[in-house]
This record gives sequence, structure tokens and C-alpha cells, in this order.
Amino acid sequence: MDPHLPWFILLNPLVSAALIHLVLRRSSGTSATVSVLSACFGLLAAVGIWFSGQSGAPIEVPWLDFGPALRIPIGFIIDPLSRLMLLVVTGIGALIHIYSLIYMEHDEAKSRYFGNLSLFMFSMLGIVLANNFAMMFIFWELVGVSSYLLIGHWFTRDSAAAAANKAFITNRIGDFGFMLGILMVWSATGSVVFPEIAAKIGTLNLSADFLTAATLLVFCGAVGKSAQLPLHVWLPDAMEGPTPVSALIHAATMVAAGVYMLARVYFLVALSPDAQTVIAWIGIVTAVFAALMATQQDDIKRILAYSTLSQLGYMISAIGLAAPGAAMFHLFTHAFFKALLFLGAGAIIHALHHEQNIWHMGGLSSRMRVTFLTFTAGFLALIGCPFFSGFFSKDLILLAAWQHNTAIFALALFTAFLTAFYMTRLFVVVFLGKSRTDAAAHGHDGPIAMTGPLMILGLFSVIAGWPWIQNYALGEVSSHTLHLLHEGGGSVPVMILATLSFLAGTGGAYVLYSGKAKDPILIPLFKNKFYIDELYAALIAGTQDLFARILAWFDKWILDGIGVRGLSGGAWGAGFVLRFLQWGNLQAYSFLFGIGVVALIYFMVFAK
Amino acid sequence: MTLTLNDYLLVSGLLFATGFAGVLLRRNIITIFMCLELMLNAANLSLVAFSRFNVNAAGLPNYNAQVLVFFIITVAAAEVAVGLAIIVALFRARQTTHVEDISTLKF
Amino acid sequence: MLNLLIFIPNLAALAILLGAPGRKTSLVASTASLLLTLFALLSYDKAAGGYQFVSSSPIVPEWNLSYRLAADGLSLVMLLLTAIVTFAAVWITPRFERRENLFYACLLFIAAGATGAFASADLFFFYAFHELALIPTFLLIGLWGSGERQTAAWKITIYLALGSFVLLIGLIDLYNAIPAKWDTFTRGFDMIALQKAAAAHLAATGQPLIPVAAQIRPYFILLVGFGTLISLFPFHSWAPTAYASAPTPAAMLHAGVLKKFGLYGLIRLSIPLLPAGAQHWAWLLLLLLVANIIYIGFVTIAQHKLDLMLGYSSVMHMGYIFLGIAAFNIVGLSGAALLMFAHGLSIAALFAITGQLRPQSPSLSFATLGGLGKTMPFLGAAFGCAAFASIGLPGFANFASELMVFFGAYQPGAAPAFTSNYRLATIFALWGVVISAVYMLRAYRAVFLGPLKKESTAWPVATFAIKMPVILLLAALLIAGFFPSSVLAFLKPSIEALLPR
Repeated sequence: MDPHLPWFILLNPLVSAALIHLVLRRSSGTSATVSVLSACFGLLAAVGIWFSGQSGAPIEVPWLDFGPALRIPIGFIIDPLSRLMLLVVTGIGALIHIYSLIYMEHDEAKSRYFGNLSLFMFSMLGIVLANNFAMMFIFWELVGVSSYLLIGHWFTRDSAAAAANKAFITNRIGDFGFMLGILMVWSATGSVVFPEIAAKIGTLNLSADFLTAATLLVFCGAVGKSAQLPLHVWLPDAMEGPTPVSALIHAATMVAAGVYMLARVYFLVALSPDAQTVIAWIGIVTAVFAALMATQQDDIKRILAYSTLSQLGYMISAIGLAAPGAAMFHLFTHAFFKALLFLGAGAIIHALHHEQNIWHMGGLSSRMRVTFLTFTAGFLALIGCPFFSGFFSKDLILLAAWQHNTAIFALALFTAFLTAFYMTRLFVVVFLGKSRTDAAAHGHDGPIAMTGPLMILGLFSVIAGWPWIQNYALGEVSSHTLHLLHEGGGSVPVMILATLSFLAGTGGAYVLYSGKAKDPILIPLFKNKFYIDELYAALIAGTQDLFARILAWFDKWILDGIGVRGLSGGAWGAGFVLRFLQWGNLQAYSFLFGIGVVALIYFMVFAK
Repeated sequence: MTLTLNDYLLVSGLLFATGFAGVLLRRNIITIFMCLELMLNAANLSLVAFSRFNVNAAGLPNYNAQVLVFFIITVAAAEVAVGLAIIVALFRARQTTHVEDISTLKF
Repeated sequence: MLNLLIFIPNLAALAILLGAPGRKTSLVASTASLLLTLFALLSYDKAAGGYQFVSSSPIVPEWNLSYRLAADGLSLVMLLLTAIVTFAAVWITPRFERRENLFYACLLFIAAGATGAFASADLFFFYAFHELALIPTFLLIGLWGSGERQTAAWKITIYLALGSFVLLIGLIDLYNAIPAKWDTFTRGFDMIALQKAAAAHLAATGQPLIPVAAQIRPYFILLVGFGTLISLFPFHSWAPTAYASAPTPAAMLHAGVLKKFGLYGLIRLSIPLLPAGAQHWAWLLLLLLVANIIYIGFVTIAQHKLDLMLGYSSVMHMGYIFLGIAAFNIVGLSGAALLMFAHGLSIAALFAITGQLRPQSPSLSFATLGGLGKTMPFLGAAFGCAAFASIGLPGFANFASELMVFFGAYQPGAAPAFTSNYRLATIFALWGVVISAVYMLRAYRAVFLGPLKKESTAWPVATFAIKMPVILLLAALLIAGFFPSSVLAFLKPSIEALLPR
């Protein structure tokens, strides 16, 4: 493989972003072209890397080099895992760039949008290519900031600004743990480079507690970025961003970075069974909770966002269940169908003039044919309808749960049921029945730049899970996991149970929601997301802000007031007291002076 | 009866004490000034006396002390000039030469 | 070369006081300084390293006191910081109705003082140059400040004068602790000779030049003295009010450059001469710097005015630099030195932009601002960049240096657990990164995002005179952030030479 290819992939979006932000601010059309072209070139280069196979020598340049004390290179790792991820990121990225051409056509800050999109591609590809923890952390943060910028694209809306802040700060909390985990691993192995750590960490006889702590801290990063409990709150709010952004960043790529990272450092995760258990449980609990919340949402994007949370929970859980191949497989299929669902939702929102409430839609199946058909493909893939991509990947995760932990399997199955339920609810309410508003009655498909990506993604949503594609695309990434899972057995009952839960969910939701004009059931707990946002808001106001105010008061009145002003007041007071000695009678002074001289003479001469 | 050093010093001490008492007790600034002169001259007297009674091998007095007296006389003259000028200026501004009336610099 | 560098701003300031046109002369002088500094950087022989551009003219030969200038990599980077920030501060100075010339003269005197302090290789002048810069700071805040400028001016001046006084005591104590004679070395004010003697003594005898027991007291006094100048907790309360009241260019110069003098001194003097003292007091320094990060971090969150928030945030970020210094190894110290550079640039950019808002909103209270990103796109974007830089976003130099500080501080004591004090402090410092994201993003949102609160057509348009310095500051941050090795190439050898081996 040409060693320049990864450099090209990484730097070309950066050049595009820099060009747009610095030069092309005012010419929005050119900006869009530049950004789309760079995304397409990126895809071409990724395809090139895909076909050229393993890299020979490692590609690395020093970034910070302190000899043995610390060495942080900018280096690339080209292995099956990163090649797969490159393809997913650039492929979906290119489609969404094209889609954005229409979706953001009349946006007044189009240049900024496309510049930030390119910045995101740069950051995301950096994560994928990184061959060391520190570089991954660098791009990890950059992804956070490009996500911040894109969520806050319409920053004059207060809610968008708030969501952007929430996303960034929540991610920073995860990154706190991530960085600490990196430091721990580094302090033990003396390296941040993945292959070096992998080679060394097994030979060090590290204590189990240390490994568990380090793994869980690294996992914190994934909890933040992949929006797992308890740091999941930012993702639903992130839907304030433009819909293509939600599709690219908050469904297909960035939020999957946590899963990718865990797969990348699986050599570390595998060393600590305790940490794996925690990871599996956090993942599955997130999956169930998010699915429960999704059942009662009314905003089409929010339903999809909770669905994303839930599916990410599956992937994370699969990592904890010692099946990173299954996690990556689900990441692969999920990227297609979830991007598709978001883009489909975007097409509807676009057609309905920014209407997002599903109860204001309805009957769109006849008027938006392409959108309807492709959305159906994505819908069936997500709920795990047999022979659609999601079925195969979800099945593997369920199988892994079946073999490891019955409780987790039960929850996973319940999640599958809920997924089918809430997605059918969305599908029935949006596409079937009668149009409930004027806008819904006049919606129609977008132009080819919008429907084209939908169709391509629709195709992949159907076929991406088929065994021969899986073998071809994932190959080595999942072969080990697949092997283990086949050894474990139980694939037939799992498949039957999964299909049953899918049927139950779909059927139940169809019966409940078909032909309804408003939600027949109301569960405030789910609708209000278990009040977690409120709880956090109260927690932040009650602890952090209160603490901040107390300390600020202390700083102003005690430290600066009593301390500093006290000292200066003391000096002033001493002066005030001492000046009473100066009573201003010259002759009295000279009298004292005389006494002083006499005393001095006495002590000098006579008192020897 | 021959005069000894002690006699001179006694007179000088009396003069100094008189001057000092005047400085302490009088309220008229001109009088205080005169008393200051008296103290200076007391010092002069003792210096001359010391010089006279500190004869070296050749029988000559120690002239250092006498030079110092000339210094003091010169400085005193300069001081009188400046001091009286200040007092006159003060009198013009305040119409008084009593120290108790001049206390502006007191807080 | 260094003589010229000190000479230019002094001469220009005098010329301005004598009636030369203020703005033009200062612009010429600061441009000349910047170019000269760049030239010095380029002509510095990195392969040879060490102190270069040495010039020396004896003042009191008996005391070994001379007007001695020299620069190593560390000084050069600080000189570059001074030149860039001075240039930006002069450019961004608004028009004043009264005594404009005096203003520019004061700015240049501060620059001259900082330049002199960083270029001095003699303890006496090192100290004296810093004092030179204090007086114009007082004038700038007292005459052209805003809000309670008189109080703030007196506070900063008396506070810093006290700090300098403690520092002087510390320097005298340090001087007395140095043996009067050893081998060919005679005690004097020559910092280069001191550093060389310390290294030679250690190499020859295995013992530090100053006996371990004698290092304890001078280090403590120096820490308090320098700490006051750097706003180390609990000696920080002068900083926020002073920066909030100071006119923009003064805040830029003081927070960006002058404050770094203390850190520079701590690195320059305590690392080679007082390593045992540093080790002895490490627990205290760690405690105080964690207070700087966490305590001040929380205080910053509670601020409701942009200028005070920035003032506190600059105090907070000193904690990271201290952490690098406390780490006492090449990674941490290089990180600290790079962070001094990066923080100087980013805080200067933040103050520069904040200053543009003041004419329209004198209080700068969050409650009255909002949505300015729409009306002032350039300043909004630039503030965003600078804000992200200051909270450590990759790409900006602050991130690279904070990363080095963390790695450096985590290093000592190879035990793989959270046992050592250093590691605990690192964990707190990492949490500080979250805190800084909270206050900075909240402030950014309150001021620039959301709906426009105050309809006014008079929001300033970013003119070239405003854009240029801000772009320069940000560009320098980006270059140093993408290619930290370019700056480290200067810093690393000098710090290696300072570190006792």
C-alpha cells in the first residue's frame, strides 16, 4: 500500500475545512463543492486502502518525543478493523455530504456547516487511524468539538446552544476517565502505542485490580462518546443539530467511536473479567432504558436517537460479553440502517417544513414513495426482521449473551421486543393512516441528491448482514468471535426467540397504534426519560453550582475580604493609632530628645 | 587661681542647659532661635577649651577643634539667615511668632 | 542583539514621552522587536544550545555584579511571547481622549521590563527589570481602567510589591545559602555561572551545590514570593479584579507576559539550585496548585461577568503550569514552559476580544449579553477559538502542553496505583479540565450564542486593527499546537541543562 494514502485520507478533510473556514467563508456554493469533493476523494482513498491490503512498515512521525520518558507519535494502524471502519466512515460520510447539499441548500451559514462537516471527517478518521492512545485522545477531543459546533449550528436557538454545551461537557466527563485510564496504562507499560502495549501488558503480571481500574477508566471514554448510562443525556439533546449531522455523527460514526475504541483495545479489556462484566451490564441496561424511553417520544428524531442509544448499548454489551466481532458487525450494519433512518426522517422533516412531531405526520407512504420504501428497509433492518442486515448482527449479540449470562440475554431479548414495538409505532404513525396536518398532506420526495443516498443506504441496510458480505467486509475482525460463538452453541433457540420477540413487538404496536390520531397510552416515567435530565439538573444546581457559589462567596468575603483587606486594614489601623504619638508640639519633642540624649550618654559612658 | 578645664566645661554646660531650657520652655519662636544659638556657642566654648588643654609634645594646641568651631560659626550664620527668613515669612503669613499658633502640620 | 531588544521599547517610550506620535512610534517599535526576536530565534544555534548572545558590562566588579544579558531556548521562547503579545497589545489599543502618549509609553515600558527580565543573566537585573514593569502597570490601571480602577490599581501594586519584597528576601537568602567559594567558582549574581557551578558540583561530588538542609528555607520564601506574582492560591485575589479593571492592552500584557516572570524565575532558579528544596516542599506546592485548579475553578464557575471570569480562569490555569514545575522532570517542565507560552497567547487573545465588547456593555455581565455571534461573526469565532484553546482543545498549543504536564506529573513514583501525591494531584488537575469546559462554554454560550439580547447597531465591526492581532495570536497558538516540537526544540535542551542529573 502506498504509505501516502492514509496521510491523504486524514489530511484532505483538514485541508478542506481550513480552506472553507479561512478562505471560502462567504462563497457558500464553493464551500459545499469543496467539502463534498473532499469527502468523495476520502471514500476513493479508503477503497484504495481496502484493496491494497496490509501495510508493511508502520507509518509514524514523532509528535512529542522525549526519548524513553514519553513518546507520542502521529502514526497509523492499518489492519482489518481500521480498514473496515475507514470504509464505513468515508462511505456514509460521502453520502451524507451529498445529501446535505439539498438539506442545507438554503441555510444562511452553509459554509460554516460544510467546513465543520469536513472538520468532523478529519477528526473521526483520526480516531480510526490512530495507532496510539494519545493520538486517539487528540482526535477524540476534536470529534467532540466538531460535534459541538455542528449541534450548535443554529446557535441563535437557545436550545441548540444548550444542547451543544451539554454534549461537550458530558463528553469531557467521560474523557476525564479516559485520560486517566491512558495514564494508568502508560505508567505500567511505558508506552501509549497500541501494539507496544499489547505486546507488553501481558508480561507485566499486573494485579487484577489495576487492570480492572485501568480498563474501566478507558471505558469511561466510551461511555461518554457512545452515550451509555449514566452519560447518555447528551445524545437525545444533540438532535438539535441539522438532521444530516444527526445521521452522520450521532448515529453512524462518532457515537460508534466508543465501540471502535473498545474493539481496538480489546487486548486490554480481555485481561479483566470484572471489567467485562461491568461493561456488559452497563451496555444492556442502557439498551433497555433507552428503548423504554423511546416508546413514549413524539419527536421523530428523538425516537431515533433513543433507538441509537439502545443499539449502542447492544454493541457495548457485546464487547463485555467477549464478542468484539459481534459488536463491530452490529456497528457495521447499524451504521447503514441508522444513517438511512435519520436521512429518511430528514427527508420527511424537510418535506414537511421542519415538522418533527410524528403525530403531525401520517399517510406519507403514498406521497413519498422513495423515502417510504427506503425507510421501510431501514426499519425492518433495525427491528431485526429476518434476512435484513440488523437481524444477523443482533442475533450474534443475543447469542453471545445466551452463552454468557442468562439475565443479560433476557434483557437483550426484551430490548429486541421494545425495539420492534417503538419502531413500528413510529412507522405506523408516520407513514400509514391519514395525513393529520396540511403539511403532511403535501409532502413529497426530494431531488435525486437526497433520494440517491437513501437508496444506496437502503440497499446496504438490506444486504450488509448477509453472510457472504459479512465474511468479505469483516473477515478477520469477526472471525475469532464467530468461531467462539459457533463453538458455544444455542444458535437455533436464540434465533427463534429473537424472531418471536420481533413479531410480538411489531404486532403489538401495529394493533395499538394503527389508525390512531394520538397516543393511546401515556407513561409519564418513560415520556420524561425517567426524569434523569431533571435529576442531573438538580444535582448540578445542588452540588456544583451551589458549591461554586459558596466558594466564590468565600473567596470574595473571607479570603479577599478578611484576609487581604484585613491585612491592609490592619496596616491602616496601625498607622492611625501610631499617629497619635505625633502630637505636634516641637518643644515636647525636643524635651524627649533631650531625655533621650541624656539616657544615651548615661548608658554609653556611665553604665558600662 | 588657675582656670582648669573643668571650669570651662562647667560654664559651657550651664550655657547649654540655659539654651536647652529656653528651647523647651519659651513660646516665642525668636527666643527659641536665640536659645539655639546659645547651645551652639556652648558647644563652641567646650571645643575651644578642649583644644587649649590638649597640648601636644611641641606645645601647640590641637587645631582640629578650633577648625570645627569655625565651621560651626559659619553654619550658624547660614542657619540664622535661613531661619530668620523663614520666621519673617511665617510672621507675614500668620501675624504671629508663637509656636502654639503654628500647628498646621499637626493632623 | 538582546541589548537592542531591550533598548528599542525603552527608547521608543522615551521618544513618545518627549512628544513623538504615540501609536505610530509604538507600532514601529513593537514590529521591530517582533522581527528582531524572530531573527534571534532563527540565528540561535540549536545544535550548540546553551546560552547565546551573551553580553556583559561590569557594574560592581567586587560583587561580581554586571549588566549581563544572555538567552537560552527558554528565554527565547519567553521573549517571543513578549514580542508577540506586545505587538498585539499595541495594535489593539483603542483611541484615547486623554494622555494617549503616556499610555503607549507605559505599554512599552512594561514590554521593556518583561524583555529585560527574560533576557537577564544576572540576578540583580533579573529582579530589577521586573520591578520596572510594575509601575507602568499601576498607571495603566489607575488612569485608564474601568470600574473600580483606583482600588484595583492600588491592590495589584501593593500586593505585587509585597510579593516582590518577599521575593527579594528569598533571593538574598538564596544568595547567602550559596557557598562563597568552590573550586573555580566564586559566589556572584551571574545566573549562568550559578547554573554551571551547580551542575559541576553535582557531577564532581554527587552533592548539590547548596547543602540539602540549606535549600529548604530559600525555596519556601521564593515559592511564596514568586507565587504571589503568579497568583498562586491563596495569593491570587489581586488578579481577577486587576484584570477586570485594566484596560485591554494592559490586561493582555500583564496576564499574558508579566505574570510568566514568576514561573520563569521559579524554573530558572529553583530547578538547578534548589532541587532538594523543591522536593521538600512538593507536597505544599501540590496542595496549593490543586487549590488553584479546583477551588479557583469552582469560583470561576460562579462568576457572572465575562472579565472577572477570564481573570479567574487565568488564575486557575496557573495551576497546570505549577503542576508541570512540581513534576520536576523533563516532560512536565517542558510542558509547563510550553504552557506558559500557550497560556500567554490564549489569554491575551481572550482579553483582546473581551475588550472590544466593553464600550457597548461596560459591565460585561452575562445577563445583559447574548447572541453576539450573529452580530459579530469574526469576534465570535475568534473568541470561540481562543476559549477552546484555553480549555485545552487539541490543535492549540495549550493541549499539547497540558498533555505533557499530565504525563510528566503522573510519571514520578512508578508504583501502578493512585498512591503518590503527584498522581492524586494529576487526577484533580484532570477534573479541572472538565471544570474549565463548564465555565468557558457557559460563558461562550451566554455571550455569543442564543438569541440576541441587546439590539444595538453599535456593536463594533472587526476592523483590521482588531483582526490582525487576534489572528496573529491564534495562528501562533495553532502552529505551536500542531507542531509542538518546533517550540520544544528550543525548550527541551535548556530545561535538560537546568535539571540536575
